[in-house]
Amino acid sequence: MIAPAKSGLNLTLKVWRQSNREASGEFKTYELSNISTDMSFLEMLDVLNQQLISRGEEPVAFDHDCREGICGMCGVMINGQPHGPDRNVTTCQLHMRRFRDGDTIVIEPWRAEAFPVLRDLVVDRTSFDRIIQQGGFVSVNTGSAPEANSLPVPRVKQERAMDAAACIGCGACVAACKNASAMLFVSAKVSHLSHLPQGGGERASRVLGMIGQMDREGFGACTNTGECEAACPANISLWNIAVLNREYIRASLASNVQ
Amino acid sequence: MSAVVESPTKILDGKCPTGDIAMRWETRKRELKLVAPNNRRKFTVIVVGTGLAGGSAAASLGELGYNVLSFCVQDSPRRAHSIAAQGGINAAKNYQNDSDSHWRLFYDTVKGGDYRSRESNVYRLAQLSTSIIDQCVAQGVPFAREYGGTLANRSFGGAQVSRTFYCKGQTGQQLLLGAYQALMRQVTAGRVKMFARYEMLDLVMVDGVARGIVTRNLVTGKIESFAADAVVLCTGGYGNVYYLSTNAKNCNVTAAWRCHKRGALFANPCYTQIHPTCIPVSGDHQSKLTLMSESLRNDGRVWVPRNKDETRPPGQIPEADRKYYLEEKYPSYGNLAPRDVSSRAAKEQCDAGFGVGPGGQSVYLDFAAAIARDGESTIRAKYGNLFEMYERITDEDPYKVPMRIYPAVHYTMGGLWVDYNLQSNIPGLFVLGEANFSDHGANRLGASALMQGLADGYFVIPYTIADHFARNLAKKKDEKLSTDHPAFKEAVIESRNQTEKLLSINGKRSVEQFHRALGKIMWDKVGMARNAAGLQTAIEQIRQLRQEFWEDVRVMGSPDSLNQNLEHAGRVADFLEFGELLAWDALQRDESCGGHFREEHQTPDGECVRNDQDFCHVSAWEFQGAGQTPVLHKEPLEFIECPLTTRSYK
Amino acid sequence: METGSANPQSSLTNRLNLGWLGRMLSSSVGRKFVMGVTGLLLCGFLIGHLAGNLLLFGGPEAFDAYATWIHNQEFLPLIELGLLLLFLAHIYLAVVVTIENRAARSKRYAVKHSKQAGMPPLPPHNWMFVSGAIVLGFVLLHLADLRIGLRPDLAFPEWDEHHPRMYEMTVAVLSNPLSRVVYIIGTIFLGLHLSHGAASAFRSLGWDHPKYTPTIRLMSWLFAIVIGVGFCSLPILIPELAAVAPPEAKIVTPAEP
Repeated sequence: MIAPAKSGLNLTLKVWRQSNREASGEFKTYELSNISTDMSFLEMLDVLNQQLISRGEEPVAFDHDCREGICGMCGVMINGQPHGPDRNVTTCQLHMRRFRDGDTIVIEPWRAEAFPVLRDLVVDRTSFDRIIQQGGFVSVNTGSAPEANSLPVPRVKQERAMDAAACIGCGACVAACKNASAMLFVSAKVSHLSHLPQGGGERASRVLGMIGQMDREGFGACTNTGECEAACPANISLWNIAVLNREYIRASLASNVQ
Repeated sequence: MSAVVESPTKILDGKCPTGDIAMRWETRKRELKLVAPNNRRKFTVIVVGTGLAGGSAAASLGELGYNVLSFCVQDSPRRAHSIAAQGGINAAKNYQNDSDSHWRLFYDTVKGGDYRSRESNVYRLAQLSTSIIDQCVAQGVPFAREYGGTLANRSFGGAQVSRTFYCKGQTGQQLLLGAYQALMRQVTAGRVKMFARYEMLDLVMVDGVARGIVTRNLVTGKIESFAADAVVLCTGGYGNVYYLSTNAKNCNVTAAWRCHKRGALFANPCYTQIHPTCIPVSGDHQSKLTLMSESLRNDGRVWVPRNKDETRPPGQIPEADRKYYLEEKYPSYGNLAPRDVSSRAAKEQCDAGFGVGPGGQSVYLDFAAAIARDGESTIRAKYGNLFEMYERITDEDPYKVPMRIYPAVHYTMGGLWVDYNLQSNIPGLFVLGEANFSDHGANRLGASALMQGLADGYFVIPYTIADHFARNLAKKKDEKLSTDHPAFKEAVIESRNQTEKLLSINGKRSVEQFHRALGKIMWDKVGMARNAAGLQTAIEQIRQLRQEFWEDVRVMGSPDSLNQNLEHAGRVADFLEFGELLAWDALQRDESCGGHFREEHQTPDGECVRNDQDFCHVSAWEFQGAGQTPVLHKEPLEFIECPLTTRSYK
Repeated sequence: METGSANPQSSLTNRLNLGWLGRMLSSSVGRKFVMGVTGLLLCGFLIGHLAGNLLLFGGPEAFDAYATWIHNQEFLPLIELGLLLLFLAHIYLAVVVTIENRAARSKRYAVKHSKQAGMPPLPPHNWMFVSGAIVLGFVLLHLADLRIGLRPDLAFPEWDEHHPRMYEMTVAVLSNPLSRVVYIIGTIFLGLHLSHGAASAFRSLGWDHPKYTPTIRLMSWLFAIVIGVGFCSLPILIPELAAVAPPEAKIVTPAEP
C-alpha cells in the first residue's frame, strides 16, 4: 500500500540573514525544488540548510525544539504573519501543503526592541523570563503546601485558569502587535493565577510587578487591535487582557500594595 | 551466548536502607547529615537542565538557601522537553476511593518495570507522589477538577485504579511552568543565577569529586567553566540516538556522556521505551515523531486488515476482515496493554505484512465504535485537540478515517547510575529525572516520568545533597575553589580542542546525514526487537560510522558565534560513542525484559522471557575509552515485596 | 525619612503618599486606563453636543433657543475647562503612548499581514493616532469657526447677548463649500475613530465579560455610527434645508421695548 508519489513544490525563499546582534542583516533569496507537501515548515528549512551546507554556505539559524507545538521555541514571520497563515498553530506544526507550487515565502524573525535578533531568525526572548520573575508565580516553598484537596476550586474557575495557563511563551503576540506589546503574554499569566485561590494572595503585587517590568523591557502598549489573539498558537483569548487591566487598576487604586 | 566477549565485572552497591520498605526513606532521612541554614549560602550547586527534575531541584535548593547556578540549552528554562508530556502524573492519593495506596502504586511500577528496578527507590517514589500533587496545586497548577471543586483523576496507561492527575492534554507543560515559576522566583530572590543558552560540555573533577562543569555559551561561543560544590545533572534521556524519536530536537546525551567519560557509570542503556501511539513517518524528510497521548487507547480500537493484500479503504473493510490483534491477544487489558507490549504487537503485525498506510508501517486506531456509542461531541470533548493535531500533520480526518499509528522511541529508562541518594559513583555528582536510571526498571508506566522528575527534584535532592556537603565538604566550606584550578583549565582546553577539531575536518557529509545514518542502524538493529547477530553488526557499523564521522564530517560556521551546526556536531559525536554502549548493553543482556526485547528469548506467542537467574541486576558500565570494552559493574536486585513473577497482561 | 530628597515635588508626593499614582500614570496600562476614561467622557460630551446640534433641523428658533439657554448657563466655563482638560489629557497620552509604541519596534517588517479573519485593508484600529489627529485638526477649525467666530471671509451677524444668531452663523459656515467638505471629512473621521475607540475603551478599563461584551461591542459600533452619521448629516443636509427656507425669512425682528 504505497501512496502515489506526489509532485513536490518549487519555492522561492526570502530569508533574513544577520550574522549577530550588532550586524545589520539583509534578505537572501534561495530556490528550493521538489518540497514534499507532507513536510513541516521547519523540515523545509532543514532541507534548505542541507543544501546550504553542501554548497559550503552557513545554514540558516532558527530556534526550534519540541517540534510538536508546545515548547514555544520556534516562531518566525512567514509572509508577514507570525507562525504563518494558520490559526492556533506554531511554525513547527505548519505544513507545506498550505503553500502552492511557485510561491515566494518571505521569512523574517520576530521584530521588537525587547526581542533583539541574535542571528538570522533567532531572537532573544529572555525579557519574558524577566517579566515572570517580577511576580509570575505563587510564593510557596517546597514542602509547605497544604493537602491538595483542602482548597476546592470551582471547575469553571479552574478551566478559565487552564485556558490562560496554556500560553507557550513563543512571542507571536509581540511579533503580531503593531506596538510590539507583550500584553497578551502578561495577561495570560496574570489571568491564570488570579483565577485560582492559591494565586490570590499576591494578586496586586504580581500585576504591578509584571507590568512594571513589561514597560521597562520596552514593549509597547495595548491598543486593542486583536492581532495578538489571532496570531496566538495557544488560543489565548483577548479577554485576558481585560482581566489584566482590571487587575492592574484594582491593584493601583484599591490595594494596599505600594 | 559464549560467542559474546564478556566484560570484566565488579559488584556495585546501591546503598539502600534496609528494613520495612515503608520506613526506608524515613530511615535514610534519619541517617543523612544536615547543613544549617546559615551555612547553606557557603555552598554552590550547579544544576544542569531545567526540566521537571532540574527546575524543581534548582528552585528547591534556592529556597533552602544554597547558591544555585542553573543551566539550560534552550532560550528559556520554560522550554525543557518535560513540557511535551501530555497525559498526566500519577499519585497515590486514592481520591477516587478505588483502593489505591503507596503499596499499589509501588507494585504497579515494579511490575510495569518488569522487575528490573530498585524496590527501595520505587517505594519512596510512591510515597513522595502525594506531596508532589500538594506542591503543584499550591503553585497554581490548574489540574482538572470535578464540579464540586475537588481534583479529578483518570485511569491511564493500563492502571486499574484512577490515580492520574491531569491538565487537559498539557500536564507536562503545566507542571513544568509550576517549577519554572518557582525557579524564576528564586532568580528574583537572588538564590539562583540563570544561564540560558548554555550547553554543558564537560564535568570537572578535583580530587575525585565533582566540582564544576565546562560550558559553551551558545550565543557567543565562549567556552568557560564554573566551579561549585556539587553538580546536579538533570539533562533528560538519550532517545535522539535513534534520530527519529518523540524527543525534542535539542535533547542529547552529551552532558551524561561526558560525565560517563569522566568515570560516572552508565546503567542499563538498553532499556528504551517505544511508545505505541505516534503519528507514522511520512517521508525521508521526517525530522521528529509526534506522540499522541496514550489516553486515545481508552476509546480507540487498534486493528489491521486480516488480508495482507487488502486494498479497500478502512471504512469499507467489514468487521470479519479486521484483526483487533490487541483485543484478541490480551483479552483482559485489550487496547490498554502496556506500552512495550502494544508497541511490539504493532511491529509484529507490520513485519508480517499486515501494516497499512504508505510503506505498510502503521496500524489503525479506530474511533468509529466510540463515536457510534458516545457521539462525536463526546469524543471531540475528550480528544479534540489530539484529533486536530493529527489532522494537521497527516491531512486525514480521524473522525471519518481511522487514525494511523506506529510506535516511536519515547523515553529511555537507562541513564547514569545513582545510589539511593541519587548520587552517582562520582561523589558530588547527582543525577535526577530521566537522566538517571533508577525508578522505572526496564519499562516505564504512563504518567510516571513526571512523578519521578518532580520527586527527585522537590523531595529527594534537597535532603541528600546536604549529606554530601556535610560529610565531604564541611571543612572546606570557607575555602573557595576557583576556576583557576588546573583541572578547570585543562577541561576547558579539551573542550575547545574538540570544537576546533570538529570545525577543521571540513569533509563532505553533513552532521545531519551522520545522525540519520546512526539512527537507522539503531532503529533497525537496536530498536523494538533485537538479536545477538544484529547487535554485533550494529556495533561494527557504529564504529565504522564513527570513524567516517571524524574523517568526513562537514561542520559550517565559526566557533565564536551562535552555531547550531556545531552544537549538533558535538552531540552527534557523543551519540556515535554512546550508541555503541547501548548496543553493547543490549547484547550483554541476554534476556528479554520490558523495553528490551531479545528475539532469542520469547514465548511462542511473542512475549518477553526474562532470565532472573542471570540478569536480575543493574548493568552499570564503566568507560574504558571509545571502542574499548567497558567494565561491567553489577548491582544485584532483590524483589522481596513484589516477588518475581512473569509479567502478564492477558 | 533620611533620604533627604532635594526635589520638593517628590517630597510632596511622598508626604501625600502618591507614589502609586505616579507609577500608574507612567505605566502603559495606567495610561491606557486614563485614555479610556477620558475617551468615554468625551463620548458623553459628543452625545450632548449631537443632541443639541440636531436641533438645527428644527429651524432657527429651536436652535437659537437652545444656544441661548446653554450660553446663559453659569457653569458653562467650568464645563468648557473640563472638556479642555479631557482633550489635553487624551491627546497628551495619545502622543506619549504612540511615541513609545513606535519605539517598541524600530525595525519594521518587510511584509506584514493581519491574521484576523475578514480584516479590511486599513482597519481603523491601525491608525487611531492619524484619525485622532485629523479629528483634532477638525475640532480646532470648528472652534475657530463657531466658538471664536474667526471667519473674516464670512459676514457673521452682530453678536447679541439675548439673541445669539447661532443658527445663522452655523448655516453660513456649513454653506461655505470648503468648510462643508472639511466638516464632512472631519465627522467621518470622528466616526472611524470612535468605531475602535469606544469599544476599546471598555477593555482598557477592564470591562470585559462573556455575558456583556458582545452587547458592549455592538453598542459601541452603533454609537460610532450614530455619532458619525449624526454629525455628518449636518454639513450635508443643513445647507440644503436652509437654502429651501432662507433663515432671514424666519427671523422675527424683536419688538421694540
